[in-house]
Amino acid sequence: MSVKVQQIDACRWRIPREGAMRTDGLVFADRAMMAVLQKEKALEQVRNVATLPGIVGPSIAMPDIHWGYGFPIGGVAAFDAEQGVVSPGGVGYDINCGVRLLRTELTVGEVRPWIEKLADELFRNVPSGIGSHRRDLKLSVAEERKVLTKGARWAVENGFGRAEDLEHIEEKGTLAGADPEVISDRALERGRNQLGTLGSGNHFLEVDLVEEIGDQQAANVLGLFPGQITVTIHTGSRGLGYQVCDDYLRMMLHAASKYGIELPDRQLCCAPLNSPEGKQYLAAMACAANFAFANRQLITAWVRESFERVLGKSPDELRISTVYDVCHNIAKMETHQFEGQTRRLCVHRKGATRAFPPGHADTPELYRSVGQPVLIPGDMGRYSYVLVGTQGAFEETFGSTCHGAGRVLSRHAAKKLARGRNIEAELAARGIIIRASSRATLAEEISESYKDVLDVVNVVEQAGIGKIVARLRPLAVIKG
Amino acid sequence: MNSFRLLEHTADMGIAAEGETLAALFQQAALGLRQIITACTDIQPSQEILVEVQGQDREELLVNWLSELLFLLESRQFLPAAFEIDSVTDYQLRARVRGETLDADRHYLEREIKAVTYHQIKVEETASGWRAQVFVDL
Repeated sequence: MSVKVQQIDACRWRIPREGAMRTDGLVFADRAMMAVLQKEKALEQVRNVATLPGIVGPSIAMPDIHWGYGFPIGGVAAFDAEQGVVSPGGVGYDINCGVRLLRTELTVGEVRPWIEKLADELFRNVPSGIGSHRRDLKLSVAEERKVLTKGARWAVENGFGRAEDLEHIEEKGTLAGADPEVISDRALERGRNQLGTLGSGNHFLEVDLVEEIGDQQAANVLGLFPGQITVTIHTGSRGLGYQVCDDYLRMMLHAASKYGIELPDRQLCCAPLNSPEGKQYLAAMACAANFAFANRQLITAWVRESFERVLGKSPDELRISTVYDVCHNIAKMETHQFEGQTRRLCVHRKGATRAFPPGHADTPELYRSVGQPVLIPGDMGRYSYVLVGTQGAFEETFGSTCHGAGRVLSRHAAKKLARGRNIEAELAARGIIIRASSRATLAEEISESYKDVLDVVNVVEQAGIGKIVARLRPLAVIKG
Repeated sequence: MNSFRLLEHTADMGIAAEGETLAALFQQAALGLRQIITACTDIQPSQEILVEVQGQDREELLVNWLSELLFLLESRQFLPAAFEIDSVTDYQLRARVRGETLDADRHYLEREIKAVTYHQIKVEETASGWRAQVFVDL
């Protein structure tokens, strides 16, 4: 079934309200992206989200949109705190899957001679792949509950990282409202051995080089300079988050029928924000979000350790600090201006990033003159981008922007394309070292599997919902 | 014919299963799930776990059955070799799963499945038996 779209300008398209839709769809894409999108089912999903009760403003899709479960990946939807709903499908299975960027005082010349050793050390020190975890990190159930309440703060209190890391994490690393009482034993059990693990698939740990600066002033404020070594961590809430989503989807399937909410797709199941089910999901989601913040904080500590060991330098010499840490899959209660009114909204970002503007109270003080940092990973063979949030995003997309490149090839197609090739050698020829637990992952994650992330961030910048600060190029990639 | 094949989805993967009976269908779906996780053939059926799951309908039952297998793998490191469905109705399934504890030296796992989804899920009766479709999040 094709979806009707109307072009608004070079990077905006409207899906006009019709049928059961309560509002329009708004898609950010260039003409070439839209030509591809019209052959896919993601636009139907944008339309389906527009049918949910209490949606405020349009059902939004970012340029990295692709077909997800229920909600599209790359979707943003805001719901009224009183009349609206919350949906686990609008957050996704990997609750608070996100990205953290670390900066160092090192330049590429200082690190290049050690890069193989560094890759080996990071691969050993940060568990990745299925069933792998640090033997020296054992959590009791009581301790795991503390992780769920405190998030990254738990990690810092237990000696993993520094208090100043917390200043540069979305929500300062602790999402409020978490209640471990609403987490199933099954979720606790799935999570216990997975705290401090990267996982597999698109999750990664990268040593990068700052290759190009797009906005000098913002780069100065973020402490980024050309030739600098940075580290990117991309992971989420692991089995705990997947189980929370699974548990609550089941609950919401029943809640949706209890509250008489008509669903065009079961995976969109939801409950009113002010219902017991809605409140309970938000409390459980906050637990999973905190687990993810703690996860990235632990990995940060092990990255520091690895650099210290391989380069033989002290923490003071290396000065590895957190630039920022963003959520890519989350629903949050936020205050926005909509049609001249101050509204309390639950903003769902599924494969989308908060992008608050300069001057916003939730933008860390250090960055308040330039806007909240936004971290957009590309693929393992090309580059990633650092952006900052803008006033345009705050006014048009509830302070949201894109989150990544978005897959274009299925795993089977990627594997076929990789057959007979030595992916490791190809990457090495481009100056990229890879360590991967799974050969399948290596083949399925080749560059060609993804859109060029530059096309995505160009649309975002042109639309004024994000501003490019720097481009990062991978030197060493750790994959699960 | 009892069989399964893997389905392609841009970001994820799915399973299309067929079975002469509902029990055979659920067994084939489980084999499909294992195929996504590993191509490993050396899995000893040395332990047996009894699995009992419920659902509001056949679709939910299928999601819950496959989710249980994921849970056993992730939490108990239990890698399944064979699935015997003892009984299955529209709302309840009882099965014996044989397999062994994951051994990193012998078992090579290719993919981590995050979850079994309700996306485009189907369990249908056909002229020759049963057919199902289910997608997993990777």
